[in-house]
Amino acid sequence: MGGPVLFLILATISVFAAVSMLTSKNAVHSALFLILNFAAIAVFYLILNAPFLAAVQITVYAGAIMVLFLFVIMLLGAEESAGVLSTRTGQLTAGIIGAVLVVGSFIVAVTQMGGTAPASVVADTRPRTLAVILFEEFVFPFEVTGVLLLVAVVGLYVMSRKLTNKERMEDA
Amino acid sequence: MNAFGLAPLLLVFPMIGVIFNGWFGYRFVRADAKVGEKWAGFFSTGMALLSFVIAVLIWVSLLNDHHSHIIPLFDWFNIQGGLFRIQWAFQLDTLSSTMLLVITGVGSLIHIYAIGYMHGDKEFARFFSYLNLFLFFMIILVTGSSYLMLFVGWEGVGLCSFLLIGFWFDKPDGVGWANSMAARKAFVANRVGDFAMILAMCLTFWVFGTMDYEPVFESAIEMFKAGEEVVLPWGTYSLGAVLKWITFLFLVGAAGKSAQIPLFIWLPDAMAGPTPVSALIHAATMVTSGIYLITRSNVLFEIVRASGDSGHLFGNISTPDLVAIVGALTALYAGLVAFTQNDVKKVLAYSTVSQLGFMIAAVGMGSYIAGMFHLITHAFFKALLFMGSGSIIHGMEHGHHHLHDHHDDHHGDDHGEHPGEDHHDDFDPQDMRTMGGLRHKMPTTFWTYMVGSLALAGIFPLAGFWSKDEILATVADNPDQGAVFTFVGWTLTIAAFCTAFYMTRQVKMVFFGEGRHEAVEHVPESNGYMTFPLVVLAIAVIFAGAINFPKIEFGGGEQAYAGVLAAVAPAEEEEAGLIPTLALEHWLEHSIESYYLTNKADPPVLEMPHWPTTLNFRVAIQSSIIAIAAIVLGWLFYSGWSKEEPFAKDRLEAIPVVGSVWLFFQSLPFDRLMINGWVETIFKPMAALSERLDWDFWHDYVHNNLIRDSFISVADVLSNAVDPDGVDGVVNGTGKLIGAFSTQLRRIQTGNVGNYALSLFIGVTVLVVYFIFAS
Amino acid sequence: MDLTTVTIEWYIALSAILFTIGALGVLLRRDAIIIFMSVELMLNSANLLLVAFAHHLGDATGQVLVFFVMTVAAAEVAVGLALIVAIFQSKKSIDISEVNLLKG
Repeated sequence: MGGPVLFLILATISVFAAVSMLTSKNAVHSALFLILNFAAIAVFYLILNAPFLAAVQITVYAGAIMVLFLFVIMLLGAEESAGVLSTRTGQLTAGIIGAVLVVGSFIVAVTQMGGTAPASVVADTRPRTLAVILFEEFVFPFEVTGVLLLVAVVGLYVMSRKLTNKERMEDA
Repeated sequence: MNAFGLAPLLLVFPMIGVIFNGWFGYRFVRADAKVGEKWAGFFSTGMALLSFVIAVLIWVSLLNDHHSHIIPLFDWFNIQGGLFRIQWAFQLDTLSSTMLLVITGVGSLIHIYAIGYMHGDKEFARFFSYLNLFLFFMIILVTGSSYLMLFVGWEGVGLCSFLLIGFWFDKPDGVGWANSMAARKAFVANRVGDFAMILAMCLTFWVFGTMDYEPVFESAIEMFKAGEEVVLPWGTYSLGAVLKWITFLFLVGAAGKSAQIPLFIWLPDAMAGPTPVSALIHAATMVTSGIYLITRSNVLFEIVRASGDSGHLFGNISTPDLVAIVGALTALYAGLVAFTQNDVKKVLAYSTVSQLGFMIAAVGMGSYIAGMFHLITHAFFKALLFMGSGSIIHGMEHGHHHLHDHHDDHHGDDHGEHPGEDHHDDFDPQDMRTMGGLRHKMPTTFWTYMVGSLALAGIFPLAGFWSKDEILATVADNPDQGAVFTFVGWTLTIAAFCTAFYMTRQVKMVFFGEGRHEAVEHVPESNGYMTFPLVVLAIAVIFAGAINFPKIEFGGGEQAYAGVLAAVAPAEEEEAGLIPTLALEHWLEHSIESYYLTNKADPPVLEMPHWPTTLNFRVAIQSSIIAIAAIVLGWLFYSGWSKEEPFAKDRLEAIPVVGSVWLFFQSLPFDRLMINGWVETIFKPMAALSERLDWDFWHDYVHNNLIRDSFISVADVLSNAVDPDGVDGVVNGTGKLIGAFSTQLRRIQTGNVGNYALSLFIGVTVLVVYFIFAS
Repeated sequence: MDLTTVTIEWYIALSAILFTIGALGVLLRRDAIIIFMSVELMLNSANLLLVAFAHHLGDATGQVLVFFVMTVAAAEVAVGLALIVAIFQSKKSIDISEVNLLKG
């Protein structure tokens, strides 16, 4: 699982990137910080014996998805983001929720998993192996995911096309 | 083999007739009068005849077995395991069988007659329905095994009498009103007697613990033998003292139903009903139920007679004596009043009252057989006379109608009209003064009417002679009974004279002389439905005396008394001879317990007067002479009634001094007593009481204060408090609550995505917290 | 507590922190695009944990699950961004505090 130093460095980078993403006024900066975060996580994947995932993380997430984000930001000219929630109550609530989530989920995870020794074997995580698992054990969820993507495509089409005049009239 | 088990059918048949005519006959007649009348009339008559057949079967069965038979149907009341137990049961003995034969026999004939008489009446089916209902109740009356059942019939026939007297309540020109007034009068006058009946029954039950005839009589005899006293809540009395009041109350009841002084006033008015009704109810059957009641209760009456001083109501007059006196006075009074009546039915009505007085007097003297004998013969000849009068009225009606319309077919023109209906002129088809000379016009009616009249007058050998003679002979055969019997004897003798006189007057006025109205010229003979019963009854009247021929012993009065003593001997020995003598006596004595207690018990328990068994020549000749004298006198007196002045003052009334006597009789205050005395006495306090109770208390206080005010206050509370605050509160409150709740709730739905996200994360947080504590 | 070796707890903690940051982003920011990015961050924290557990348990199945998460994330982003574009076209803004058509 890598050395503590490497972990701490990477963790620091990813947390820093995440916080920066959250606090940036400029949406483009936020997107770039998120890419940084994703990159750090991709390194974690490499550490955690998931090279294929690391590659996918970089190409799909940091690459395709984030390009899409940037593209939209640029398209809409929404670089100047709307800022943060300004009410004190809202911030307090968010703070409490955040604290509880951090501490609570940690406590839960530790009490569930704490102290268990890591497995002695190292899993075979070559893409072929993953593919076998995916298409043997998870073939049905895979298909469902395909349907999900299809629905997303159809939804996108529906939302992005312009209504005809007749349909406008009917809507009204 | 006997027919006693068929007894319930006696009631079933008339009831079928009632239901048939009530439900279907009515519609039949309405749909098609001609066919409907056939159905309604013949069905009803058939039911009456079937009852008659059953009565005959029961009679035949009783011929073989004279004892009384109780046929229980069901328990009517049964309270506290027999403490108050009344069975709905038939008591079939020789007495009830005799009554049954009379009722159903004469009743059937009158049904046939009524088919003809009521022809054309639009309420034809209703009439027959009532007639059958009357038979139903009359049969209950005479066959019931207890006073309560008798009372059911008693009230039932009263109801039918009411319904039938007022049958033409819807006639125009105030006639219908008069009819319903007459019906009401009959009903109210009967209520007085019925009230006494109720008191008598209560007292009977109090003393004997039952209302069934046989237990009552048996325990009365036992108590009398033992000399027991009766313990009532307010004191202890001797048996005679209690029974004298019970029997007195029975007398009042009988006076109401059998039209005796002072309650007879309803019977003349009851002639407003259709003539078949007068014949059936107000001559032959219902009005005799008082005689039946006293005969049935003979044991109680004879115990009072035998009780000596304790049985005396006042002076030394005991209840049976009072019965005899009331009967005799009624016979005389009604006979005298009948002299000057001009309505053909009113004469017969007073005659009926008079003859009922004869019967009452007979049973009061203990001569139950004579009373029943006269009841039977009277049923025959009075029914005959009434039906004859109905035939006359019908004829006069037709004659007048013919005259009025100058119509050729006088049979087809009276549909939808009542006989005796008021025409536009003042012609009264019942007024004898407009009649005269009808004997040529209505020969059958005339001859049968003559038979009936002569029988009523007591001419040998018709039925009335024998029965009336037996009553008078009772007096003659009991010279030891004292002044009461002597008084009754003379009174009845005079009444018998009156009877012959007024009947002669009537016959003379109706059938002889010249017609005093043009209508007489067009009077037709009545049709076969009406004349057939007349002929049958006329034959019956001629021979009915045979049912109780006295033995004929020649040799003078003293030996006749010896014959009375011979009656003690067993009946079987007397059954020889060409014509059976004393058939009715031997028949009925099985039902008259006091006969055995007087003559067959050793020592005699009761002291019943002797029954005449042999023909008393002195009495027979005396009454025959009187009757013939009255007929001759009446004939001469009323001969040559002026045709020009038919409505002249009655000749009797025209005589200066004597006439005023009749005016006085007619103005005797019985009606006033009833209307002004009795009714007013009751009415005034009742009116005052009802004013207080009904208006002041019931209406004003209870209605206004209690009911209305409490209702209002409850309604106030309901409308002002419960409804707005409670019901509306709940309804509106629910709405408001939901509204308020949803107003609050919709705030959650801000539409702001952040808020949704926030709540989502709150949920996640809560879950996390839950897992912390769950793990 | 041994700080010399990186145990699964370390990853849990990191994942929890990243998830919380993402959650706070969703809660606090009003910019729709930033909110979407925060959602991506949360998904990534979950992915990280999946991979970490897969390594910890020596089972590659966890890594396969990540593929599904990524697929769903990609679809979500595609639809979400389309929504944002649509909202922007009508509102000329992507401030979610202005999107309250569902207000009750």
